[in-house]
Amino acid sequence: MKVTAISIPVLDQEKALKFYTEILGFLKKRDIPLDGGNRWLTLVSPEWQDGPEILLEPAPLHFEPSKVYQNALREAGIPWTQFDVDNVDAEYERLMKLGVEFSVKPTVMGTSKFAVFNDTCGNNMQIVEMR
Amino acid sequence: MTFYESEIKRIKESCFSNDKQIETVIGMRNYIDNNYESNLNLDFLSHTRFVSKYHLLRLFKKHYGVTPRQYLIDKRIEKSKELLLNKLSVTETCYAVGFESVGSFSTLFKTKTGKSPSQFQKEQLSRSKLRIES
Repeated sequence: MKVTAISIPVLDQEKALKFYTEILGFLKKRDIPLDGGNRWLTLVSPEWQDGPEILLEPAPLHFEPSKVYQNALREAGIPWTQFDVDNVDAEYERLMKLGVEFSVKPTVMGTSKFAVFNDTCGNNMQIVEMR
Repeated sequence: MTFYESEIKRIKESCFSNDKQIETVIGMRNYIDNNYESNLNLDFLSHTRFVSKYHLLRLFKKHYGVTPRQYLIDKRIEKSKELLLNKLSVTETCYAVGFESVGSFSTLFKTKTGKSPSQFQKEQLSRSKLRIES
């Protein structure tokens, strides 16, 4: 078994695609139309294009418990998942300039540094750097 | 303050309050990052930090979740990918990142990445050629 996909629940796939590509900088890899306007929509890191794919899935739109869980995590400030970056401070500055909202500014904890932002699609996301 | 922020604060105080210890392991990691191509000299590290070698090993594993040896191997594999992309031969790459046997380097590379070094190089280079042409 291999790990190839990380699922991120989003309310609006088109809006999520824009945010994750235009703001965060991911690349679209697969966009397969399914019924009811839903898509199998995956993205990859530009610097690791054969690495794991992010799956932007419209679960909260169709499955109430998914929406409930997503809301609860968001309100508690808990990130859905995290992405590695080389420099959290630099990425924080870059995203702030693009209007991204952070709930946790760059913070050091042990051997890591991290920050948490709002992905505008219903989730908190964490960026992390190993010190 | 959100639930997450208060948890971070709590965990930081309970697990990561020993700044000197954290500074020590970060120093070790920097040392490995800067000297990955040579043999790990933990005696040297433990002398400069005035602590025992075994204490250092335990500390590193406690904070990074992997042993210095495992960290070093991953570092070397990452670097070898870069060198292979820069068209160095498998043998040159092997020695340049600090491995001493081409056979064991190839086996390790395949275990870690799913491909042998030559396979990896061939695929990546033909892919970048495709990208340029298209």
